[in-house]
Amino acid sequence: MSKNTAVHAPTVWGSEAMQNRISARYRKERRFRLLGLFAILLALSFLAILLFTLGAKSIGGFFQTKIELTIHFDRSLFPDLDGLNSDEASLALTRVDYAALIRQSLMDRFPDVRQRRDVRSLASLVSAGARQTLAGTVRQDPAVIGATQDIWFLASGDIDSFVKGKISRDVPESDRRVKDREVIWIDALDAAGKVKVGFNWGFFSSGDSREAELAGIWGAIVGSFLTLVVTLLFSFPIGLAAAVYLEEFAPQNKFTDLIEININNLAAVPSIVFGLLGLAVLLGFFNMPRSSPFVGGLTLGLMTLPTLIIAGRAAIKAVQPSIRDAAIGLGASPMQTVFHHVIPLAMPGILTGTIIGMARALGETAPLLMIGMVAFIVDVPESFSEAATVLPVQIFLWANSPERAFVDKTSAAIIVLLLFLILMNGLAVWLRNRFERQW
Amino acid sequence: MEKTPKMQATNVHVYYGDNHAINKVSLDVFAEDVTALIGPSGCGKSTFLRCLNRMNDSIASARVEGKITLDQQDIYDPKIDVVQLRARVGMVFQKPNPFPKSIYDNIAYGPRIHGLARNGEEMDEMVITSLQKAGLWEEVKDRLEAPGTALSGGQQQRLCIARAIAVNPEVILMDEPCSALDPIATAKIEELIEDLRGRFAIVIVTHNMQQAARVSQKTAFFHLGEVIEYGDTADIFTNPEKEKTKDYITGRYG
Repeated sequence: MSKNTAVHAPTVWGSEAMQNRISARYRKERRFRLLGLFAILLALSFLAILLFTLGAKSIGGFFQTKIELTIHFDRSLFPDLDGLNSDEASLALTRVDYAALIRQSLMDRFPDVRQRRDVRSLASLVSAGARQTLAGTVRQDPAVIGATQDIWFLASGDIDSFVKGKISRDVPESDRRVKDREVIWIDALDAAGKVKVGFNWGFFSSGDSREAELAGIWGAIVGSFLTLVVTLLFSFPIGLAAAVYLEEFAPQNKFTDLIEININNLAAVPSIVFGLLGLAVLLGFFNMPRSSPFVGGLTLGLMTLPTLIIAGRAAIKAVQPSIRDAAIGLGASPMQTVFHHVIPLAMPGILTGTIIGMARALGETAPLLMIGMVAFIVDVPESFSEAATVLPVQIFLWANSPERAFVDKTSAAIIVLLLFLILMNGLAVWLRNRFERQW
Repeated sequence: MEKTPKMQATNVHVYYGDNHAINKVSLDVFAEDVTALIGPSGCGKSTFLRCLNRMNDSIASARVEGKITLDQQDIYDPKIDVVQLRARVGMVFQKPNPFPKSIYDNIAYGPRIHGLARNGEEMDEMVITSLQKAGLWEEVKDRLEAPGTALSGGQQQRLCIARAIAVNPEVILMDEPCSALDPIATAKIEELIEDLRGRFAIVIVTHNMQQAARVSQKTAFFHLGEVIEYGDTADIFTNPEKEKTKDYITGRYG
């Protein structure tokens, strides 16, 4: 008993022990805050490093070296277009040896190059796409035949890397992809003001290519867009219907519990498993077109469904029960209650979940590899059943390419993908705020 | 002459799973009266109220036995359409729960789902008269498009009453309609109940005995799921028959 009275002796708040305890508490809190701050700064610095390296590398992908050549459209190399209709004329023009025009122009500029082998490497200063550039010029304006014109051409990938300083002059010639001869030619052209580095519009308007300087991202952007459209159209209605049914109508029993557990598990299944499912069922059983945005979209849709259902259910569950009571109390049927009140109120949450799910689908690679979207595809897809590729797969493909110029392209494509993701997440935030601010 | 009750509960039992919440309650509700249900927390008065328009149907574990009639018709008869029943027996809840829509749409929702208005003019008319009956018209007539949730608590509750009135019910159930309101708003609701008396049969659950004494003509005292005493309000409060009722209204427990 005497011990108890000691415990209940009046507290001396001013005592030294008490003061020490208080300052120890503050010290602990300060340490904890510093730790948190440190964690955030660490994460931020990694993000900064990532963005900085990507940004620095991607500049090379967004800009492209061009070489100006004086082309004489030698009439003797062109067929006679008189009396041909436009179809026949353009067919005849495709047979023209445009490479010869470029070769001639370069030989005029460097008269001392005469050996066949040297001429060939001289011609390879400009991209293989230069022929298409010339063909395009002639097709647009056939009057140019017989005239002489200065035209800018894309430099070939290695020359491009060299001009941008990505290939160093100091490396011994045997280890360098750009040989001494080529260095001399480029320097001569540069001295004449015939070399420039300009913004690479082609990167945003063309499909993939074996030539780094011609490779663009438009095909992958269109492919990603078509794929996501299929994903959204497939997974949003089904996911919403499943969420509404499970949350509002389904009876609570063992069977629905099992479904719920399975949905939660599916959300954690590795994405490549969904790729295998797409391969076996969509391609193997239903014989749908391989590599197509349709199949890719369905596969990604299956992958997104569990996420969507979970987000939808959470949003529906968060609607105040009093609103349901109010509607039911007025004599609204359960379906009217859900469609007039619950879903509109849950919409911000449902939309946020959907867009986050779509963003995940946009960045997904693995399942698409399984259904053949990893193919090298040059054409920009025009329908849901054509072979296509998507942004992350394009990045994966370019990252595997040995040429120096593809490294820059990879970074540039990653920047584009990140921009799309930021855009989608921004849209999610905007939609949520907009719908919530209404009332 | 003996009056015919508007609603009649006979030997009603309610179970939530194994929990016997209402035990053999019999009660008559008359069309021209306000009937108050009083009693300590957890005595089953709200549960009983929710049986009168089958709001308990949505609770899976709830089971109702016995007979409840509206105009001599059993409301738990499988042939009864529950949607129509709830239109005839409206409800006002403890916490004001206007829809997050405009004031106009809050009122118009009930008539709209039941197809009560043939055109926009009729709907406007219904909205206006409902707001007038609920004594809210003067306060909101200039801002019918404003969100219902932007009103004050008392106004919101009157909006909910107007919303219930708009479908033209025969009975209005009120589940502690003033418990979330301040005294001034409470006084307004009580005035409103007085105004509405006679046009609708009103059943009100309340914690507040003074309120029951002020607004009601009949009072039922619930205790542990049973009705201890039911009769004219004046008799219950001045001359209760049962000892328990007396103890409760004199504040000895509850």
